Amino acid sequence: MPPWIQVFALELAVTATALVVLVCDALRPCRARTLAWFSVAALATALCTSFVVEPAGTAPHGVYAAGPWSLFFERLFLAAGILGVLGSLDWLESRVARRPAEYLFLMLMSLVGAMLLAGARDWVLLVVAFELMGIPLYVLAAYAKLDGPPGEPQLAAEAALKLYVTGAASTALTLFGLALVIGAGGSSSLAGLASPDVAPLASAGMLLVLAGFGFKLGAVPFHMWVPDTYQGAPTPFVAFLSVAPKAGGLVALVVVLLHGWPRHHELWAPALGVIAAASMVVGNLFALPQRDARRLLGYSGVAQMGYVLVAVCARSESGVAMALFFLVSYVFTNFGVFLVLHAAAENSGGHALDQITGLSRRSPWLGAALLLFVLSLAGIPFAVGFWAKLFVLLAAFEAGLVGLVVTGVVLSVVALFYYLSVARSTFMADGRSAEPVRAGLALRAAISLCLAAVLGLGLWPGPLLAQARLAAAAFGGGP
Amino acid sequence: MTLENCILLATLLFAIGVYGLLTRRQAVAMLLCVELMLNASNLVFVAFARHAGGPGQILAMFALAITVAEVAVGLAIVLLLYRRHGHTAVDAASEARE
Repeated sequence: MPPWIQVFALELAVTATALVVLVCDALRPCRARTLAWFSVAALATALCTSFVVEPAGTAPHGVYAAGPWSLFFERLFLAAGILGVLGSLDWLESRVARRPAEYLFLMLMSLVGAMLLAGARDWVLLVVAFELMGIPLYVLAAYAKLDGPPGEPQLAAEAALKLYVTGAASTALTLFGLALVIGAGGSSSLAGLASPDVAPLASAGMLLVLAGFGFKLGAVPFHMWVPDTYQGAPTPFVAFLSVAPKAGGLVALVVVLLHGWPRHHELWAPALGVIAAASMVVGNLFALPQRDARRLLGYSGVAQMGYVLVAVCARSESGVAMALFFLVSYVFTNFGVFLVLHAAAENSGGHALDQITGLSRRSPWLGAALLLFVLSLAGIPFAVGFWAKLFVLLAAFEAGLVGLVVTGVVLSVVALFYYLSVARSTFMADGRSAEPVRAGLALRAAISLCLAAVLGLGLWPGPLLAQARLAAAAFGGGP
Repeated sequence: MTLENCILLATLLFAIGVYGLLTRRQAVAMLLCVELMLNASNLVFVAFARHAGGPGQILAMFALAITVAEVAVGLAIVLLLYRRHGHTAVDAASEARE
C-alpha cells in the first residue's frame, strides 16, 4: 500500500465498518442490535485512535490535506455517527427489524462523505464527497416507508421527495457553477482561480456554487425542504440529518470560500451576509407559530445556520474558530433535543408540542434534559450554546459586521419565546398521560452523552476553544 | 461551434430545466428537468475542455456518475410515492402542515 494512504485512515476504517455490516447481514441475517453495537464500537475505536495517532500529510497531487483542521471535523463527524447509530438502535429494532443493515450502511457511508470534506483540496474530491454524503440521506429519509409513528399521517415519501428534489437541484446548481469556474481557472484544484479579477462568467459560476451549498445548509432562501422533511422522516434519522450534513455543508462552504476564493471576497461576502441575516430573520420568525416540535426545530435550525454563517462572514481566523465551536455545540445540542423528542413521541404517539406536555412529571430526567438542550439552543448562560452564540457574535463584531451582530442579538431575544414555549409545555401539569416514558438503553446512552457534552462544554469551554483555534490556525483562515 | 455558443446552449438548457422544475407538478417531469440541468453542466465541462483544455472531460465523467446515482435514487422515491398515493402529482401528495 502506498504510504499516503494513512491520511485517509479514519475514512477507510468507517468504510470497512460499513462493508462488514452490510456483508455480515447479507451472509447471515443479524439482529439490528448486534450490527448497531458493532458499528458504535468501531466508530468509538476510530475516535479514540484519532487521539493517539494523528493522521497528517497530503495525498498525491495535493487533492487532500490531513492535519489538525481535517482531524477536528473527522472527530466531530465520528461523534455524530456514534450518536446517530445509538439513537436509531431502538427504532431500528422495533420498526424496521428486517432491514437494519442497509440503514446502518447508508448512514456510515454518508458519514464517510462528510469526513472527507474538510481535507479536500480538489474540486473532484470535494464534489464526490459531498454527493457521497448527500445521496444516502435521500434513501434514509424514505426508510420508514409506511411505518411511521402510530397516529400520525405517513409522510415519509413526501419528506424524501422534498429532500431529493431540492438536493438534486442544488447538485445541478453546484455542478453548473463549477463548470464555469473551472473553465475559467483551467484547473480542478480548489485554489485554481488565482487572479483576483475574474471573468463575469466565472463570477456567476461562483454565486451558483454558493447557492448550491446553501441548499444543504438549509439557509434562506433554500430552506423550504427543512420543516417538511423534518416532519415526515423518521425522527432518529432527522436527528442525524439536522446536524451532520449541515456541518458538512458548512465545512465545504468554508473550504471553498476561504481556501479557494479568499481573494474574491468582494463578490461572495455580501451575498453570504444577506443569506446569514435572512436565515436568522426567517428561521426565528417562522419558528414562532409552529405547533409541531419537529417543524419548530427545523426553523430553529435554519436560524442557527444563520448564526454560524455570520462567523464565516467575518473572514478571519478567529471567525473560523468560532464557527467550529458553534458547530460542535450545535451538533450535541440539536442531537439531544431530537432524541428526547423521539423518546417522548414513541410513547405518546406524536410530535405536536401539546403531546410532550407533562414530560417532566412522567420522566423527570428526560424533562430536565430537554430543558437544558432548549436553553442551550436559546443561548442561556452556562449551557454551551451561550458561549457559541457569544463567540460567533464577538468574532463578527471584531470584523466590523455591526449590522449582522445587532440582527443576531435582537433575534436571539425573539428565539427565547419559542424555545421557552417548548420548555413550558414540558413542565405544564396537565399531561395527557401520567405513564413514565420508556426509552431503551442505547437511546438513554445517546441522550446522556449529549447531556454530558452540553453541560461539560458549557462549564469548561476552554479546551474545545483551544482545539478550535488550533484547527483554524492549521486551516489558515482568511486572506 | 464556438465556446460562446456552447455555453449559450448549455445556459439555455439549464434555464429550461429550472423553469420546468419550478412549474411542473409531476414528480417524473421534475426528475427530467433536474436531469436537464445536470447535463447542461456536462456540456459546459466538455466545451471548455475542447476549446481551452483543462480537466473538463474527467470532471464530466465524474459528474455523469453522480447524476446516475442521483437519478437511480430519485426514481425509487417516485415509485414509493406512486405506491403510497396511486399517482405522482406532487401537490396532491403534500400533507405536511404549513
